[in-house]
Amino acid sequence: MTNLLWLQGGACSGNTMSFLNAEEPSACDLVTDFGINVLWHPSLGLELGENLKKLLNALTSGQMPLDIFVFEGTVVNAPNGTGEWNRFAGRPMKDWVTDLAKVAGYTVAIGDCATYGGIPATAPNPSESQGLQFLKRQQGGYLGTSYRSKAGLPVINIPGCPAHPDWITQIVVAVATGRGAELSLDEFQRPKTFFTSFTQTGCTRNMHFAYKVSATEYGQRKGCLFYDLGCRGPMTHSPCNRILWNRQSSKTRAGMPCMGCTEPEFPFFELAPGTVFKTQTLMGVPKDLPSGVDKAGYVKLTAAAKAASPAWAEEDIFVV
Amino acid sequence: MASASDESLRSRIIGLLTSGLATDVYPRADSHEQVQRLVCDLRLAGDDLEAKLKLAGFTSYPIEHAGITQLCETCMYYKVHQRFCELPELNVPVEPDWSCKLWRI
Ligand code: SF4
Ligand code: SF4
Ligand code: SF4
Repeated sequence: MTNLLWLQGGACSGNTMSFLNAEEPSACDLVTDFGINVLWHPSLGLELGENLKKLLNALTSGQMPLDIFVFEGTVVNAPNGTGEWNRFAGRPMKDWVTDLAKVAGYTVAIGDCATYGGIPATAPNPSESQGLQFLKRQQGGYLGTSYRSKAGLPVINIPGCPAHPDWITQIVVAVATGRGAELSLDEFQRPKTFFTSFTQTGCTRNMHFAYKVSATEYGQRKGCLFYDLGCRGPMTHSPCNRILWNRQSSKTRAGMPCMGCTEPEFPFFELAPGTVFKTQTLMGVPKDLPSGVDKAGYVKLTAAAKAASPAWAEEDIFVV
Repeated sequence: MASASDESLRSRIIGLLTSGLATDVYPRADSHEQVQRLVCDLRLAGDDLEAKLKLAGFTSYPIEHAGITQLCETCMYYKVHQRFCELPELNVPVEPDWSCKLWRI
């Protein structure tokens, strides 16, 4: 059996909801097929009060092995670095995080908040929130740059707001079945298997992106959302159009822009009015261009592609 | 394909632009905030065609700004085959070599 403990800091429970909706494998499969023993989880844990404290103390003392420590939400340090705003089982949650991370075989951050600080860490960050090993783009976070779990790995980050259910369970299974050492992580400690391609990879609107045909309203049956509606698909690393949501669709397929939730700067522009779902431009040119593309190249390519666009690209293409 | 009503509206706009309708060509809407303000003003103008053309700084020729030629033909709101501006607040037939302050690529 592999012991897994899931705790929640400054969080909305979105990743818990996501986890409970996992299908391949499901949360039940983790227990029945992969021998994972969920010691405690905010929605599934049976123990309360003193019994929960006993369990946590057994883990921190080494009496019971903690193979996988999953953390959802930010580490709350307010007020004034004490962490008293987020108490759990008799002490600040951040103190549990310190002690549990020391004994964990693997430490896994689920969702943006645990990874980078996410929405709670947006300025002015009243809860003094941090991610486990990052604060936005800056490495370090609560556990510090040099933190390594017992298996010798830094925190495994699975960002997303929320993370896709299958990203969570597939990584947990990989770790539980002894394949943790094979995980290759990127500069933000995200498993490369999920976070090397872009949200745009597999988007059904790629033809419209190529021919520079813009969607001007949500849910339109044609057009790409990059040009006007702020889609961050071309510069966001996620498999949202490869591993579909609910096995059915994705935000961009349904005509809603990607908000770039797997990247450290999310929420972008600190949620200033007028910045959400609106492409930010300077003199008519998008401020954030597709990854690796420069302004001169973008302008040239766009003009040429637009001139070459076929008539069908301007008509509804996803006809029901 | 452009419809007959598009063609008649296009002729009307050409008439207005060539008969000296003074539009607010400058200053260009460079920043995101300027664009947002302009879009709000256009919403308030509703169906008043002349007001919309004036606010948006329509010209029947291209405008060169910051080293880039801003013309409908390369604008994101331009539908090449219908010669139509799809920006919901404008929503008018145009010509490829026209320009306005809401140009974006
Ligand atoms: S809608 Fe977004 S993800 Fe899809 S092609 Fe356009 S920019 Fe890319
Ligand atoms: S489509 Fe974009 S915003 Fe939506 S979940 Fe994927 S990365 Fe996040
Ligand atoms: S927004 Fe302006 S430049 Fe762009 S197509 Fe419409 S009228 Fe032309």
